[in-house]
Amino acid sequence: MISPADGGSGMISFQAVSKRYGAHQALREVTFHQPRGQVLGLLGRNGAGKSTAMNILCGCLAPSSGAVTVGGRDVLLNPRQAKRLIGYLPEQAPLYDEMTVEKYLEFACRLKEVEKAAIPVHVGQVMEKTGLDSVSGRKIGNLSRGYRQRVGMAQALCGTPEVLILDEPTAGLDPLQSSEMRALIRQLAGEHTIMLSSHILSEVQQICGRVIILNRGRIVCDRDLQAKTEEKPPLRALIACGEQALLPALRTMKTAGDIRVERGGEAGLTQVVLTPAERGETERELFALLSQRGWPLLRLTPVEDSLEDIFLRAAAEAEEE
Amino acid sequence: MGAIYRREMQSYFYTPAAYVFMGVFLTLGSIFFGVGNLAARSGHVPSLLAQLSYLWVLLCPVLTMRLIAGERRARTDQMLFASPCPLTHLVLGKYLAACTVVGITVCLTLVYPLLVSLYGTLYLGETAAAYIGLLLQGCAFTALDLFLSCFGRSQMTAAALGVGVNLVVWLADALAGAAPGLAGKALDFISLYRRFAPFVRGQLSLSNLLYYVLFIFIMLFLSVRVMDARRWSEA
Repeated sequence: MISPADGGSGMISFQAVSKRYGAHQALREVTFHQPRGQVLGLLGRNGAGKSTAMNILCGCLAPSSGAVTVGGRDVLLNPRQAKRLIGYLPEQAPLYDEMTVEKYLEFACRLKEVEKAAIPVHVGQVMEKTGLDSVSGRKIGNLSRGYRQRVGMAQALCGTPEVLILDEPTAGLDPLQSSEMRALIRQLAGEHTIMLSSHILSEVQQICGRVIILNRGRIVCDRDLQAKTEEKPPLRALIACGEQALLPALRTMKTAGDIRVERGGEAGLTQVVLTPAERGETERELFALLSQRGWPLLRLTPVEDSLEDIFLRAAAEAEEE
Repeated sequence: MGAIYRREMQSYFYTPAAYVFMGVFLTLGSIFFGVGNLAARSGHVPSLLAQLSYLWVLLCPVLTMRLIAGERRARTDQMLFASPCPLTHLVLGKYLAACTVVGITVCLTLVYPLLVSLYGTLYLGETAAAYIGLLLQGCAFTALDLFLSCFGRSQMTAAALGVGVNLVVWLADALAGAAPGLAGKALDFISLYRRFAPFVRGQLSLSNLLYYVLFIFIMLFLSVRVMDARRWSEA
């Protein structure tokens, strides 16, 4: 496990949740708390336990042990109260092909116990938000994949739930439709606490404030992506100078932090990674040092720890364990 | 429950399901009426209703096969389970919708006694009792087939299972003669035909009425239990 990102209870809370299907352990002692208003991304390979966790959260499955609460209400003990706070878009959008979009959303509103008199206005608002106005009278069975996914998202929004659970919301969409869906999720992020799963790492990085990586039913990484961007990233520098002369000079810097040499480059050039302990004036001090010594700086780039790096590292660490 | 009921009713009448059910029932019913009443110059409606009751065995699974199995196949069950609607309401809403179609079908057969009353003598009390029996029989088979629809995802499997089990429950008293001891008594007890026969004779017995009510209740209760149990075991 890399690092826990959040403590205390939140809008969504998993407490030592395990799920077993016969001999297969789908979730193992999963514990996390998700604060209100944040977008949480669940990552993991197929069979890692993402969909199981989401199904347990929305009450479609019962955990073998542990407790799940939504807004402080236990999903197993107070299902009705907990489910009032949830909007769920499963991996395959739950659509009735013979219904029109408007009739379907009216049904979703009644199911979510929206007041009868408020349903027409509410359905109108949801259709406007999801861009479905133009197809409101069309049968769902005749809609394209992108529109069907939007209808699925619209039913999740009916009843204005505080928590949105989105299981692979862009799966099967073309790049343009995916982009529109991501824009919609970002737009909704301010109003709802969102938990989404995805295979696409860049998508999670774009949308989510926090990511949890599951591997074989266990949390192997819990990372706050927003906090990460505020940290000082390491710097990779390519300098036209031999390693023997460069390293002692760099060690005289106050803000260089940890210094690592990356070998395998051209002769006469040295590539180093500086990992400053805290935010500081590393670049300024490095420029000053190199100009004083007359060593040209050929390249200086921040080393971003991509989600892919985190994902692969977490999976590798889990395999080692 | 109201939301589920309305959706199921819309689904029955937006798709061919209800029309096929009613069309086949009334076509065969009209053949029975033509042969058994018009051609035979008989005004005895209860005997016609006894023949119609056989049709529930074959047709009720058509009505119920999609109720649960169809939802599971289309994955729309996840939307229902994630909603605040309790399982009991879900099952009741679906059951009442199916029973409404059964009820409408029974109402449409009132044209037969109407024709009899226009051109002959209709024994109202006997006919009314037989109608109550026919309706209860239809509701009982609907409850049984709804329960059977909870097993598996395939609608065809649910329908085939429904017809098979309906036949066993319908003819249980005939099988009871061949089964020894307690098994024979049990088969005799669960026979829906044995409970239906007194209605055709114009007898309204409280025990038979209660039997149907209890039968329906047990089937609906088991449906809820099966769906709830799946949350604990299903992958």
